[in-house]
Amino acid sequence: MVMSIDFERLSYTYQADSPLAFQALHEITFTIPEHSYTAIIGHTGSGKSTLLQQLNGLLKPTTGSVTINGQTITAETKNKELKELRQEVGFVFQFPEAQLFEETVLKDIAFAPQNFGKTEEEALEIARQKARLVNLPEEVWEKSPFELSGGQMRRVAIAGILAMEPKILVLDEPSAGLDPKGRLEMMELFESLHQEQGLTIVLVTHQMNDVVNYANQVIVLEKGTVIKEGTPDDIFSQPDWLKEHHLGLPDTLTFAYRLAKKGIPFSEGMPYDEASLAHYLGELIVKRGANNG
Amino acid sequence: MDKILLGRYIKGNSLIHQLDPRLKIFLSFYFIGIIFLCNNWQTYGLLAALTLVCVWLTHVGIGFFVKGLRPLLWLILFTVVVQILFSTGGEVLWQLGFIKITDVGLKDAVFIFCRFVLIIFMSTLLTLTTTPLEIADGLESLMMPLKKLHVPVYEIALMLSIALRFIPLLMDETTKIMNAQRSRGLNFAEGNLLQKAKSVIPLLIPLFISSFNRAEELAYAMEARGYQGGEGRTKYRVQIWQGKDTVALILFGVITLALIWLRS
Repeated sequence: MVMSIDFERLSYTYQADSPLAFQALHEITFTIPEHSYTAIIGHTGSGKSTLLQQLNGLLKPTTGSVTINGQTITAETKNKELKELRQEVGFVFQFPEAQLFEETVLKDIAFAPQNFGKTEEEALEIARQKARLVNLPEEVWEKSPFELSGGQMRRVAIAGILAMEPKILVLDEPSAGLDPKGRLEMMELFESLHQEQGLTIVLVTHQMNDVVNYANQVIVLEKGTVIKEGTPDDIFSQPDWLKEHHLGLPDTLTFAYRLAKKGIPFSEGMPYDEASLAHYLGELIVKRGANNG
Repeated sequence: MDKILLGRYIKGNSLIHQLDPRLKIFLSFYFIGIIFLCNNWQTYGLLAALTLVCVWLTHVGIGFFVKGLRPLLWLILFTVVVQILFSTGGEVLWQLGFIKITDVGLKDAVFIFCRFVLIIFMSTLLTLTTTPLEIADGLESLMMPLKKLHVPVYEIALMLSIALRFIPLLMDETTKIMNAQRSRGLNFAEGNLLQKAKSVIPLLIPLFISSFNRAEELAYAMEARGYQGGEGRTKYRVQIWQGKDTVALILFGVITLALIWLRS
C-alpha cells in the first residue's frame, strides 16, 4: 500500500450553494511522502486549517480528491468509510487540552482506543504506555485532567491521540501557548516519534525556527493556493521572496543578515540553519586567524 | 448549527438597515398585533404587500427569508392541516366519516399559512438588518419604563448582549470539540439512543468547562477595567431617532387604520 498523502486538484468551498459561499481552497495539488516531516506555513486565513481537516475526512473536498494511505476521499465518500482512516491519522488540534473530558488522566487517554474497538483493559494498558511516552509523572495518572497545569493537560491530550497508534500525525500549532522549555520538549517529542517510529508528520506552524529545525518539506499557502513547495533549503534561500509574502525568517537567518550588514561576507548564500551558520562562522574565524597570523 | 438564524446579521446600508433598532423591534411586535386584525383577502393582501416591500427594501435576497421558515416548517404544516380538516361551516367540498373539508376551512388554512409566513418574514427582517448588539441596546431602552417596577433592566440588557456576543464563539467551540472527538473515533450519529446520549458527554463537558473559564475571565477583565453598569453609564453607540423613523411609524399607523376599514 502506498502510504503517502496525495492532493489532486482539491478545492473546498464553505457553505457551497448559499449566498455566504466562501472558497477556502483552490485546486490544491501536492504530495506528502511517507515518513516525511512536512511543514505547512501561511498566514491566518490562508486555508491551513481547512487543508488539515481534509486529512482525516472532517471536511470532504468540494471538487478534486485527496488520497491518504491508498484511500481516496472525494465529495461522494460516505462518513462510514472514514472510520479506518481516522485511526490512521492522529489529529492534534490547536489547544488540544480543550478536548479533555474524562474523570482521570488515564481514562481520557484510553478514550480513543476504546472507540476503535479495544477493550477497557487493553486501552488502559496503551494509555499507561503513552502517558510514559509523553513524560507524564505517574502520580497524576489517576487525577482529574482538570487539576493539572496547562502544559501537562496538553501532554494528556497528545497522549490521547498517540493512543490511537496513528501512522500519520497532524499537528496544528502544537506548541502554541507553551513556555520555551515546554515548547522545546514538545517539538523534541514529535521529532523522536518521527525518527524512531517513522511517523509521517504534518505540522502547521508560525514558528519558522521549528520549520528549519525539523521539517524536510515545506508547503507555503496563500489565499487557498499553494504558492511554493520544496525543501527548507529552497524556501529559506530566498529571503526576499519570503519578505514579499510577509513570512517571517528563522532566527538564524535574521542573525546572519545582521552579520552581513556589519560586513561579514556570505558569498556562498545565507546559511539558514544553526549548524551550517555555526560551521561557516567557525571556518571564517579560522581563515581570518590564519591571515592575521 | 449554521441554520440558527438568530444573529444572522447581513451587512448592508439599506433604508431598513438605517432605521432605529428600537423602532424595528417595536414594529416587529406591533406587526404581530395588527396581523390579528386581518380576516379577509384585502387585509391579508395589504399586509403581504407591506411585507414584500419591506423585504425588497432590505436589498437582502429573499432566499434568506425563506430559510427563516425552515425551522418552523413542521409547525406551520401541522397547523394548516388541522385547520383544513377540522374547520366547520361553509360549503362541504369533500367528506370522509367525520372529517369534512369545507371552503371556509380551506380559506382559513390559507390565512393561517399567510399569518405564519408574514410574521416570520417580519421577524427575520429584524434579525437580518439589525446587529445582535443593536437589538440588545434597543431592548434595553425599550425596557426602561420597567425600571420603575424595580426590574433590573441594565443587568438584563448586559446579560443579553453577553449571551448574544458569545453565541458565535460557543458555536465555533462546539464545532472544534466535535471535530476533535470525531478524530478520536467518536461517532455522534452512530448506535442506539443510549449510545447517542452517551456520545454527547465528551462534547458537553469540555463545552461547560470552557464556558465557565470564559465567564470567569470575562468577569475579571470587566472588573479590572472598572466596569460599573447602571445609572450614569454612557453608551458608545447612541441610537438616534431620525425623520425616516417617524415616517415609518406613521406609515404603520395609516396601515392600521386601513386594516380596520378593510376588515369585514
